[in-house]
Amino acid sequence: MTELWVEKYRPKRVADVVGNKESVDAFVKWMKQWELGRPPEKRAVLLYGPAGVGKTSLVLAYGKEHGYDVIEVNASDWRDEARMKAVVGESSLQATLDGSTRKIIVVDEVDGVAGREDAGGIAALSRIIDETRVPLALIANNPWDPKLAPIREKCLMLEFRRLRKAEVVKRLREIAEMEGVKVPDAVLEKLAEMSEGDLRSAINDFQAITGGRKIVDEKALEALGARNRVKEIFDALRMVFNAKSIRAARAALEGLEVDLDMIYTWILDNTPDQIPDPSDLADAFEALARADVMLARVNRRQEWRLMRYAIPVMTGGVALARRHKPSGFVKFTFPPRIRFLQSTSAERELRRSIAQKIAAKLHLSTSKALSQMLPYISFIMANDGGMGDAMARYFEFTASEVAYLRGGEVEKVEKAGARRRVSRRARKS
Amino acid sequence: MSLREVSMLPWVEKYRPKSLDEIVDQEEVVSSLKNILQTKAVPHMLFAGPPGVGKTATAHAFARDLFGPSYIDDGYFLEINASDERGIQTIREKVKMFARQIPMGEYSFKILFLDESDQLTDDAQHAFRRVMEQFSATCRFILAANYSNRIIEPIQSRCAVFRFKPLNKAHVIQYLKRIANNEGLEADDQAYEVIYDFSEGDMRKAINILQACASISKRIEEKTVYEVMGYVSRGEVRKILELALSGKFTDARDEVRRLLYVQGIMPSDLISAIYRELFYIDLDEGDKLELLDLLGEVDYRISEGATPEVQLMAFLARLAAKRRRT
Repeated sequence: MTELWVEKYRPKRVADVVGNKESVDAFVKWMKQWELGRPPEKRAVLLYGPAGVGKTSLVLAYGKEHGYDVIEVNASDWRDEARMKAVVGESSLQATLDGSTRKIIVVDEVDGVAGREDAGGIAALSRIIDETRVPLALIANNPWDPKLAPIREKCLMLEFRRLRKAEVVKRLREIAEMEGVKVPDAVLEKLAEMSEGDLRSAINDFQAITGGRKIVDEKALEALGARNRVKEIFDALRMVFNAKSIRAARAALEGLEVDLDMIYTWILDNTPDQIPDPSDLADAFEALARADVMLARVNRRQEWRLMRYAIPVMTGGVALARRHKPSGFVKFTFPPRIRFLQSTSAERELRRSIAQKIAAKLHLSTSKALSQMLPYISFIMANDGGMGDAMARYFEFTASEVAYLRGGEVEKVEKAGARRRVSRRARKS
Repeated sequence: MSLREVSMLPWVEKYRPKSLDEIVDQEEVVSSLKNILQTKAVPHMLFAGPPGVGKTATAHAFARDLFGPSYIDDGYFLEINASDERGIQTIREKVKMFARQIPMGEYSFKILFLDESDQLTDDAQHAFRRVMEQFSATCRFILAANYSNRIIEPIQSRCAVFRFKPLNKAHVIQYLKRIANNEGLEADDQAYEVIYDFSEGDMRKAINILQACASISKRIEEKTVYEVMGYVSRGEVRKILELALSGKFTDARDEVRRLLYVQGIMPSDLISAIYRELFYIDLDEGDKLELLDLLGEVDYRISEGATPEVQLMAFLARLAAKRRRT
């Protein structure tokens, strides 16, 4: 597999971080205070802003450049206080005096914690900020979530804005040169425009349209589809959700050159925000579920004529169900589903590879190995009881697989020495 | 493998029955298979039954009893898991390739074991049916499936069908005790009961739970089992339902996505867990009935190929529209 450019060209030094100069400088200044042995008054920074503008990259680059051990934890699946304490709390208290292994703790998706039912995690985080002896970098898309209020005031707030088009183009140009890809400016400009200041998506798109070729022209942009059409999709969604008749709802998709699965996902994931009333929402999802059944029949039995029912049922169904509208305009969003699948792809890949090894030894399908064996093996390896190493040898797990299984669930697994995983369950018997 | 290594195998493998005599609690199936062994007239066979009751183990034990301990290395036995290779390509290439070659040794045929064969697509099943006839001189097929009704009629009619029944509690516990004894564990009766309850008669699951318990302590009590299961299943389903009921639909949705796509929970297992929780949820009986009805529909739609995630969302959205009983 070719390496992802977003990883390959992640900044290695702070100077390589694109844009948002003020916040970058402020972060560096804040870190310098730690290094001078005078921990700043605010023990944590909250780097906030839209996706793909360099929040995480800045911290990683700083860590790499100055020899820090960056402990990266993904907050989106912790909910409770106990885990917050176990993961972040513990590391935050272990500052080393000799300075040999300096640490930064990065807590990603802090707003994801707040979205969960219990705010216990945020309260715990708040106490951790008070006591931490190592720099704590929190990252969020939306820092204004009311539940984040208790930690906001304790953090140095650093805003990251969408990157300017010229900044995105410049970085894409550098990558093109390093990859030896010939590409006209017009293409890079178009990519930058479509990305709306999200450098990560621009780099991903660029890699996608390049597809391993050394010469790329404007035609390649057509292959891009999805993001390219985002504007059009937004218009279509507006029409679907505001349609007064089934006919109008159906018409919203006419002439839309987006694959039906894609538009379905957009409607599916925008429905909860657009339809505030629970009863309306249930009706809307029932319509979507019925359309899904029809689409499945189309796919399985190649009954193409059924397509003509699926579209009005999904669009009209959602429009008619929307008997109560949200107060005020609610903007349409990029589907969380797609973001979720992207952000979990490394972990899913790793789990799959583990499951395949289990399946090969235990006369099971990969999917059964994944759901029925992996949790137990993970438990056994984490607790060990003398069985862990033998398990690892028996299944021929790699070191990173073993680390993952032993640590239980923490996601981000990187082999680079600078980033390390944290075991969420520190229990031993 | 050294002796020490053998002792460290995952227990589901270490305690897998090696011969028909060791198969637990499937007397009827075992005695018919023994008859077949004596006559050596092996038909195509379909093993149907719930997970973890010994279908795969029986297929291996049968082949081993028939061909001897090196039944795999001698090329008499091939196992393919249809869930991993569900397409017609598998049938056309892998299955045919194995089936058409005449075995070299003293036996005139070999056995192809197709596990989870209910996962084969319809196309693949139709292709398979031809293969069964074409190569029956050189190859006998054993198919295993949870649901025999998902196997097309023409295949079923070409097979002797063996129904594996759910394992009874006493037998499962007896087997666990044997393992515990061998591994030097002490477990109290209460612990065995709870393991059995969690396993729902699935021996693989029961053994996994036991081994996971052993990784914490050599003395297994009821609470050890709860600790393991608390980690393994984590009450996630209950939480999803609670989230939906508290009006946090998108949180419930995200959790479903995590279970399905990251944890890899099978949709049917998720639905079963919801089914079990539904009876205890804080709703009017009338609302529960409506939701059960919808869950049945969702279950059916998924089995017909609809998208599990979407169907489950429809269920959760309906649940979210219900008021808690006051």
